[in-house]
Amino acid sequence: MTAAQRPPAGGRAAGEARRIGLLVGGLVLLAAVAVVSIGVGAHRVPPAEVVRALFDYRGTNDHVIVRDVRAPRALLAAAVGAALAVGGALIQTLARNPLAEPGILGVTAGAGFAVTVGSALGLAGGQGGQLLCAVAGSVLAALLVLAVGRRAPLRLVLTGVALTAVLGGIALGLRLMNPDVFDAYRFWSVGTLAGREQEPLTLPLAAIGVCLLAALALGRSLNVLALGESVAQTLGAGVARTQIVTLVLITVLSGAATAVAGPILFVGLIVPHLARRPAAGSAPWLMAYSMVLGPILLLAADTAARVLLPTGEMPVAIVTAFLGGPMLIWTVRRYGAGAL
Amino acid sequence: MSVRVRPPRSAVVTAVLAALILGLALLGLCYGASWASPAEVLSVLTGREHSVVIHDWRLPRVAAGAVFGASLGVAGAIFQNLTRNPLGSPDVIGLDAGAYTGALFALTVLSGTPAQLAGASVAGGLIVSAAVYLLSVDRGFSGLRLVVIGIAVNAMVTALNSWIVLRADLDIAIAAVGWSAGSLNGVDWSDLTVPFAVIGVLLAVMAAQARAMHQTSLGDALAVTTGVALGRLRLLMVLVGVGCTATVTAVAGPIAFIALAAPQIGRRLAGSAGIPLLPAALTGAVLLQGADLIAQALLAPVALPVGVVSTAVGGCYLIWLLTKEVRRA
Amino acid sequence: MFTRRSTGLVGALALALTLSACGSSDNDADTPGKNDTRVFTADNGKVTIPAHPERVVATGYAVPTLIEAGAPLVGISSWKRGEPMMDDKELATYKKLTKVAGEQASETNYEAIAEAKPDLIVLGVPAPVLGDIDMKRLKSIAPVVAVGPMLPTQWREVSRKHADAAGVLAAYDTMKTTYETKAAELKKKYQSVLPQLKLGHVGSYGDTSKGTFQREFNGSWGTNVAQDIGANYYGKVKKPGPGSKSVSEYPSMEELGDSLGQADAITYSVNADGSVPPSVKAVLDSKLWQNLPAVKKKMTFPIAYTEAATYSDALKTLDAIDTSFAPLLAK
Repeated sequence: MTAAQRPPAGGRAAGEARRIGLLVGGLVLLAAVAVVSIGVGAHRVPPAEVVRALFDYRGTNDHVIVRDVRAPRALLAAAVGAALAVGGALIQTLARNPLAEPGILGVTAGAGFAVTVGSALGLAGGQGGQLLCAVAGSVLAALLVLAVGRRAPLRLVLTGVALTAVLGGIALGLRLMNPDVFDAYRFWSVGTLAGREQEPLTLPLAAIGVCLLAALALGRSLNVLALGESVAQTLGAGVARTQIVTLVLITVLSGAATAVAGPILFVGLIVPHLARRPAAGSAPWLMAYSMVLGPILLLAADTAARVLLPTGEMPVAIVTAFLGGPMLIWTVRRYGAGAL
Repeated sequence: MSVRVRPPRSAVVTAVLAALILGLALLGLCYGASWASPAEVLSVLTGREHSVVIHDWRLPRVAAGAVFGASLGVAGAIFQNLTRNPLGSPDVIGLDAGAYTGALFALTVLSGTPAQLAGASVAGGLIVSAAVYLLSVDRGFSGLRLVVIGIAVNAMVTALNSWIVLRADLDIAIAAVGWSAGSLNGVDWSDLTVPFAVIGVLLAVMAAQARAMHQTSLGDALAVTTGVALGRLRLLMVLVGVGCTATVTAVAGPIAFIALAAPQIGRRLAGSAGIPLLPAALTGAVLLQGADLIAQALLAPVALPVGVVSTAVGGCYLIWLLTKEVRRA
Repeated sequence: MFTRRSTGLVGALALALTLSACGSSDNDADTPGKNDTRVFTADNGKVTIPAHPERVVATGYAVPTLIEAGAPLVGISSWKRGEPMMDDKELATYKKLTKVAGEQASETNYEAIAEAKPDLIVLGVPAPVLGDIDMKRLKSIAPVVAVGPMLPTQWREVSRKHADAAGVLAAYDTMKTTYETKAAELKKKYQSVLPQLKLGHVGSYGDTSKGTFQREFNGSWGTNVAQDIGANYYGKVKKPGPGSKSVSEYPSMEELGDSLGQADAITYSVNADGSVPPSVKAVLDSKLWQNLPAVKKKMTFPIAYTEAATYSDALKTLDAIDTSFAPLLAK
């Protein structure tokens, strides 16, 4: 069983080693970004105090900022980033469309809208109700968009855009009838992590954690899904079941991420796109890389959102829009829309 | 405008739609804070009686509803032909988002006079749509590329807009949100002469090119063999589509979804293969007039922006597409 | 019917024009008749208005002022922002009056205004918002006076102009005097404790961008009434902007300690019913708030009715401040 006897196995082992190396590199980068994110903000905290806040908490302003504001917020950013990235990777695999993304397809808009309407009706009190509303909204939106747009990639994307616009318009109408509801919607229309670390959010975070593990476990059956329905049917994998499980994961991930931070565009588009090349066609690796790159991207964007302005801060969704927009344009122009 | 002469059906549909437009126009002239009988309206129109309200207030609004609806319908038909997709609309090229940025600029930085609002919104819309078009025409043209780049640019411009609204004073924010809903309220003849002239020229240009557009919608290869200078035609189509939408937006603000739904409804009614312009224009006029009447009546005496009502048209359209897909499956 | 009334509208307009011509040329008329006119300076220039208007349409900030001053209103815009501050009688008047416009200027119903047959239209909206209104059409109905606040403290001059235009200056001045007497009284009451304090104010208009809080300085909505009784809010905006941004800013929550660490006492905006709005609650719940010297010394004071834009509203603000500051004297 030497390498000379079975060259392909040796090649595979080398590929595997490279993938693991890249993953470790990604994790190191993630740790570095997390440290920067905890160390940087509107209020300057000396690095020594940052360390002391984490290991020798005294309750001074600096310590409160590091321990009670920045650290939980970094955790939120990481969780939301992972949820959006994996949600994007899953929906791209399911729709077999490189342009699919919970944000572009209106799934997050559906979640945000459902939370707004839910709170107007008194249903979305507490994190449980909010999560339920968000997931219900994203399920309805995802079903509608995937059903209307299933025949062509362009149509899928345009359906998502139209749905987002319809929901925005209805929210505008509601605003005219009841300004209080609209004030709540203003939050759900621009995603932000600021101040969210003070809310009780264990439930959506737990949901994200479970779904991320499930996405990894789903593993190879996703590979089959990527081949297309007809091929998958002949292979006899429980395609319908995998599709349903994938859809559930997508909607819970996008719903939970939206319940935590509001709608954030492009993370679910850019990250799987970046992760696809090193993953080289393997769905489990795509999930793993997305899980690492998503948090890196959102942590970096959130840190930027905090330091870009002289006073106050910017919603993180605005930063991701300005990161993701140019990147999407560049990709389309470089590789063409089909090869995205 | 549609050059393809189809026997009875399209003629019948055209006549019915035209009758609907006239009927809605009459209703629009009668309806208001107090009801005027059709006889009174007719005598005002023929000049036998004089009424400021009917002649100077209601008539321009009704005319604007019909003309703007028609030009939005044509703009939608153009973009659906370009993207070869029933969900294409001038929104994809970023026009409305850019116009909103312009309006926000006029409200927050300038003093927000009506002229500034109109000028800045047209400028904003044209700049953003030019950027989207130029970014997407490199090395040939693809509908998908236009849409994707449109999404990217739209997302950035929308992010910028929400940022400005979040930072604005409450009064300004409320006014800006009001503008973004789109409204025909308070439209005067003096607001309409230039826009009507512009739209007239654009529609005439498009009518002259209708045949060529139909050929391109049948497929580029076929169009090239029939000798259509594709690149020039596309640019012309984009210019007319953007021009029509920008003109409407300057006067009324962004009015959602008329451009999306009208071409498809018109096409179904006419039973035509491509996306013909005349039915799209007529359907657009009917939709906008109807939406504007509902907007006036819904919360009367408060005048609701028509864009809120036309959103419902978009919602119904999506649901209709959904049921069609479900039935097909 | 309607056409005839519309013809009447034009007739009335023509009549009004001739009358105004008479009015201006007839300056030395001894008896103030109902057809007298005068020239009024507003945001939209010099406007000839009736000296004693009898049918007034009011929108925006002019609505609460003119309801309180008992102006002869025949139509108003909706003004939900002011509802929590109206007392029962004012609220009843507000609800009963015909609504001729929505919350937004673009929701103005011109025909409904014409139906109300006003002899004066008072628009209480800031100048940039006027772009949403067809002034020419309004002017064809009745003279239009547009006066709106660009800065929070301007509500005093703005509401005075509204009342002046509507011919109810006397009632307005009575309220103003009541307010000023009360303010002077309170100023005296607190003069031993209040002027010495370095105050800070946390406002409630911050809910749109979470993670930040609104700090208000001298001359802002939350502070201007307290200033009338001798309060002094220290510091100033780091990067002043136009309008209310010259008197308030939105620092990040992290900067709470940097921003208000020097304050001897802190006031914060609460709702009319005493409940704490979510944007302020986020601040009060923060551990950084607990770390502030003023909070540790229990020197924090809620203030209700900080949105006051009329003297009778501001009178309620004074009462609220008096109740809240009372423990200061006990110390």
